[in-house]
Amino acid sequence: MQRRFHTALSAFALAATAAVIAPAHATGLATCDSGDSSTWQHQGKLEKMLSQMKWSVRQIKVDGGCYEVYAINEKGQRVEAYFHPVTLAPVPLNPKK
Amino acid sequence: MKAAGAQPGFRVWDLVVRIGHWGLVGSVAVAWWTRAGGAEWHERIGYLSLALVALRLVWGWAGTRYARFSQFVRSPAGVWRYARQVWRHQEPRHLGHNPLGGWMIVALLLNIALVGTTGWLYTTDEYWGVKWVDQLHYALAVSLLVLVALHVCGVIVASRRHRENLVAAMVHGAKRPPVGDDVA
Repeated sequence: MQRRFHTALSAFALAATAAVIAPAHATGLATCDSGDSSTWQHQGKLEKMLSQMKWSVRQIKVDGGCYEVYAINEKGQRVEAYFHPVTLAPVPLNPKK
Repeated sequence: MKAAGAQPGFRVWDLVVRIGHWGLVGSVAVAWWTRAGGAEWHERIGYLSLALVALRLVWGWAGTRYARFSQFVRSPAGVWRYARQVWRHQEPRHLGHNPLGGWMIVALLLNIALVGTTGWLYTTDEYWGVKWVDQLHYALAVSLLVLVALHVCGVIVASRRHRENLVAAMVHGAKRPPVGDDVA
């Protein structure tokens, strides 16, 4: 009984470790076919464009090859929006799975 | 040693402690797996975790004997003494949380509360998208996983030393009755 218990615990520990060290992957919320990041426009340019739309940009991350923007929009609403890093065009979210 | 399969008869963990424990195990696991992508379930699980921690805190004052913080939270000197006993393989068996495990419970509950709070903060207008909140939430989640790993190690060591399946005890709530030097 002890051995079975320890085997189960070891298996759990291994699975947990694997789950934890697995690389953080894209969220899958949106994807951009944007090629190498050396061809991308600067985040600062996107931020400037959005502030001209009266958005208050809080953070810009890279996700799925897109720029992922956290901001408060011109209506004061919280938004998480995606933009193509080459064209800076808005990217629609993938339909929910 | 008891024959395998025999029912240990000493009630230790009440229903609230057990449901709280496995509820938090499930919540932390699901929260980690839903960390990317759909925020909806991640947020729901976050609120559930905070509720479970709140329930456990209340139960730490109002619960049954082994649920109470006053039963298992020991002074630093007591913890140090116990740690040295563990090092020398001379520690007594505790029916409730042992002195090291007791502080682990406090640390785990506090860490879960902090992860939940920073996660909620990130959804407010004021802190929406703010980078340091994002990073703090993630760092706290990682520290929680480290604590969980240490907790599981502690459970394995104590289970081996005292020839007792502590995981099963947290499922059915009962342990082998105290004998000799056991701390009940």
